[in-house]
Amino acid sequence: MLHTKIIIDSTQEIFSTMIMLEITPGEPFTRGKEMLTNSISGLVGLAGTTKGMLAIHLPNQVAKLITTAFLGLEVEEIDEDVRDAIGELANMLAGSIKSALDPKGSDIKLSMPSAVHGEEYSVNCLANTQSFTVPFDLDGKTFLVELQLHMEG
Amino acid sequence: MEFAKKITRTTEEIFNTMIFLEISPEAPLAEGKLVIPCHISAMIGLTGDFTGMLSIHCPAPVGLAIAGAMLGMDLEEVDADVKDALGEIANMLAGGLKEAFAAENIALEIAIPTAISGKSYTISSPTGSNRVIIPFKVEQGQFFVEMKYSLN
Repeated sequence: MLHTKIIIDSTQEIFSTMIMLEITPGEPFTRGKEMLTNSISGLVGLAGTTKGMLAIHLPNQVAKLITTAFLGLEVEEIDEDVRDAIGELANMLAGSIKSALDPKGSDIKLSMPSAVHGEEYSVNCLANTQSFTVPFDLDGKTFLVELQLHMEG
Repeated sequence: MEFAKKITRTTEEIFNTMIFLEISPEAPLAEGKLVIPCHISAMIGLTGDFTGMLSIHCPAPVGLAIAGAMLGMDLEEVDADVKDALGEIANMLAGGLKEAFAAENIALEIAIPTAISGKSYTISSPTGSNRVIIPFKVEQGQFFVEMKYSLN
């Protein structure tokens, strides 16, 4: 089970069926402790036999573009609509990734989504995890999908 | 669900037994649009009979004091040690809440802690979800334990 393939397949599926925007996956990498600037991140926890976190990190501009495509509204700033849209996007991505990791549907559950946004912040998973990040190009700009899976022992 | 009571009890228990820092709980913050002024937050997701997100939010001086008390070190800046310490506190808080709810036959699973830090950030949960925020006073200021939840 190649985790980066799961991330790529799930993200492309959500974007083509729910958001209707074209995206292109880039080279997977391991995200470090870099600060995110003028961005918004959607986060969802995974719990059960597999624990982890799914995050999508988007520069504000990309988040607004996606919110407009998803909700059919023009948005000027990172307002409640954008935060809800990005939280929902993280939720859908986590759902799709969970189905690939747990086809029986009984072993992994999703937590409530959260959105973090600001001028400058960092998001760091604190458990002992395997980390996979895939960058995606959307109209010349980049966003990241990051999956952290807890390793036992 | 008595979140306020459970959060207050669990937080006090952890600080009394593991961190040895004097804290005093204050009244839950009122409903409404809130911006908590913080530089470091640790969040952990909960799921099962209900879904939620538990967070502890601290301004930098309070985060440093709490992590310092827990690790027995003098800490100067919000670095990996501080994030790890707060993440561990979030983990213990979630564990305590899971036990408290289990005693009422409400089952929960816990995800993994994540640290958010920066000079300026806002954390939000889906519109329509509920939140309970309990401030705690320490010598260096206040920290906040927040539970966001959705009763499916």
